[in-house]
Amino acid sequence: MQLNEDAIRKIVVDVLSGMSEEGENSSSNTAVAERKGDMILKEVGPAKEGRSNDEVVIGVAPAFGDKLTKTMIDEKHSNILREIMAGIEEEGLKARVVKNYSTADVGFVGHQAAQLSGSGIGIGLQSKGTVLIHQKDLNPLANLELFPQAPLLDLKTYRQIGKNAARYAKGENPDPVPTRNDQMARPKYQAIAAVLYNKEVKYLDPQKKVVKLEVKFE
Amino acid sequence: MEYIVGVDIGNSTTEVAVGRVENKNIEFISDGIYKTTGLKGTIDNIEGILESLNRALEKIDLSYQDIDLIRINEATPVIGDVAMETITETVITESTMIGHDPWTPGGVGLGVGITTRVENVEDCRPGDDIILIIPGEVDFARAADIINQAAEQGININGAVAQKDDAVLIVNRLNKIIPVIDEVKYIDKIPLGKKAAVEVASPGGTIDKLSNPYGIATIFELDSEETKHIFPVARSLIGNRSAVVIRTPEGDVEERKIPAGNLVIFGDRGKSEIGIDAGAEEIMDSIEKIQPIKDVKGEAGTNVGGMLDRVKETMSKVTDQPLAEIKIKDILAVNTFVPKEVRGGLAEEHAMENAVGLAAMVKTSQLPMQKIADKLKEKTDIEVTIAGIEANMAILGALTTPGTDKPFVILDMGGGSTDAAMVTRKDMVYTTHLAGAGDMVSLLINIELGLSDVKLAEMIKIFPLAKVESMFHIRHEDGTVNFFDEPLPPKLFGRVVILSDDEMVPIHTDHSLDKIRQVRREAKHDVFVRNSERALKRIIPTGNIRDIDFVVMVGGSAIDFEIPTMISNRLSEYGVVAGRGNIRGLMGPRNAVATGLVLSYLDEEGSVLDE
Repeated sequence: MQLNEDAIRKIVVDVLSGMSEEGENSSSNTAVAERKGDMILKEVGPAKEGRSNDEVVIGVAPAFGDKLTKTMIDEKHSNILREIMAGIEEEGLKARVVKNYSTADVGFVGHQAAQLSGSGIGIGLQSKGTVLIHQKDLNPLANLELFPQAPLLDLKTYRQIGKNAARYAKGENPDPVPTRNDQMARPKYQAIAAVLYNKEVKYLDPQKKVVKLEVKFE
Repeated sequence: MEYIVGVDIGNSTTEVAVGRVENKNIEFISDGIYKTTGLKGTIDNIEGILESLNRALEKIDLSYQDIDLIRINEATPVIGDVAMETITETVITESTMIGHDPWTPGGVGLGVGITTRVENVEDCRPGDDIILIIPGEVDFARAADIINQAAEQGININGAVAQKDDAVLIVNRLNKIIPVIDEVKYIDKIPLGKKAAVEVASPGGTIDKLSNPYGIATIFELDSEETKHIFPVARSLIGNRSAVVIRTPEGDVEERKIPAGNLVIFGDRGKSEIGIDAGAEEIMDSIEKIQPIKDVKGEAGTNVGGMLDRVKETMSKVTDQPLAEIKIKDILAVNTFVPKEVRGGLAEEHAMENAVGLAAMVKTSQLPMQKIADKLKEKTDIEVTIAGIEANMAILGALTTPGTDKPFVILDMGGGSTDAAMVTRKDMVYTTHLAGAGDMVSLLINIELGLSDVKLAEMIKIFPLAKVESMFHIRHEDGTVNFFDEPLPPKLFGRVVILSDDEMVPIHTDHSLDKIRQVRREAKHDVFVRNSERALKRIIPTGNIRDIDFVVMVGGSAIDFEIPTMISNRLSEYGVVAGRGNIRGLMGPRNAVATGLVLSYLDEEGSVLDE
């Protein structure tokens, strides 16, 4: 694939136009069958450290779900969050969602989530779709499983990531989630990724730190 | 003063011992070890010999010029190979059951009804009993809605079968709990409009209705003749946490025997023919009955035939002898299980099928050791002689183990074969070579755990296991806990790991630590404990194991952390002192032959055995 400056400019313009504060202005063509609903996120005060070890905490980056609503391949945030939570639930554990306003880096978001998690297992999720599984005793820049090529992740993979996180929390021995690799993903999506990340960073709010989210799917 | 080097070329390692001879006294000053390069007894071995020798000489700062003589052993021309043959297959006809164990079935209990697809629920009437079939394109929340709504209308949805991994998600959204089985890949093949039963046990339990033939008979109102017919279905569901049984006119589950070819065993007293599908016990019975064996042939066109031919061909190439002169002298057969996909299954179910693992051992008159000796002399400019038979050398070396005395037996457990030699009080030496050793254990571990990775299987064989329970601690096989100050690498988190010498290697399978450990120990038991008894019975002139006092284990597999204790335990029942050798009081079970080669240098002044 050839990328000239015009093409990149066009992509960036497209992305920016799709990022109005209201979001939700285009329909996604990869949504799960028979599901049109979106989610409502409600911030309910500072997130606390969990005590129960049957939970996995999903940490999302500042713009996730409200300021931005889609990943860089136009997957709805509501869909990927729902799949991750479903994966955790299918394994018999509970999912708790927090939003991190102090960092937008996926490693630190995930690390923070793991610190709050009663099981010590957390998931970090960025608005552009990048995701990882973290454990509380690890160095922030290490992780259990990292999925750096967000454009190659489909909803099935997000479900699997939720499942694996839950299985780590149960002390099981899951196979790492298989991921695809595409040499072209980087050149093709780098511009969008950068734009989305910069956008996300704008919503950092040191006052708010980490807040608990109530998630409702409609 | 002279420096003498003993070189032992084994199947997997080449070992060197360096001795200094002064006034008929031998002092060992160094040793070396390196993996055998190429097949034992070929010119390719030179590289391994030199590497091993260099390592030994480096330690004592000597060079080739200082060495007076290299003695290499007259290697026993024995090589082994292993193969596996599946002898049963499970076939499900007409999709009578779904017997797979999904990781997370939902709900609990037993539900009976008529199989109906989600989209046809609207046509059902209140009072109908239904087993709902939910294809993958239906979202879990929607499926739960449909079930809840149907229940409100009075339709009894008593159980469900889902294609995606959704069972717990669906059940969590229901007003009334029903058993749900998921991950049924070929859901479209489920016959519709048939009576079916779904059973899910509570976590940690196993189903008890559908795994009981009378349970199935009660549900489906079967008569005695029909109950006989469904017995295999019930049997194949034993131990599952969940199952579906569907009643169809011709439905059946069958365990078929696969014709796997015959073995023809030729002995001095006639021949015996036996099918591989008879199982390992029968094969070993035939082998023992017809001892001593002259040759074994496998049926052409079968795996076994191919394997036996391959061993013979390799040996024929190595020794430059015509193929017809290469004979198979021993076979070790071991029963094992292979995970295989069930034919006709709807959910990619796997059944543990019976299989037979075979190790074969070939012996010829001689190996071309002279060629190796000539080449070695040319490379090092040191005098090289071929000295002594391997077994005698091993005995000489093993006798340096403190606390041993004649009459005694050495068990040389290597990679390809298990060799035994016995020396009596009167210095009579008897030897025997048996098929099956370390490689066979690796093969069994590999197939039984479904690893398809021989290297990993080999590591599982050699090293103990542990479970990484947190970033800072692991739990060993025996339950003891080890803490670390630094966090472990994240790739190890939660895994069962192999504790190799320098690192922990994760095993990426669903098997628990206990399961892996059990498979490993059974494989070792089946090969080594069995072989040690076979060897002793053959080698002791009276045939009675109680007639000997000492058994010394040497060779690579004697280093193993549990094989020697397994054999010791078994042989202690006969009142035999059995243990791992400790050559020269310091080398452990290694270096026996190399040590013997140096010691036998004094043979020229009289047999060391007499001392």
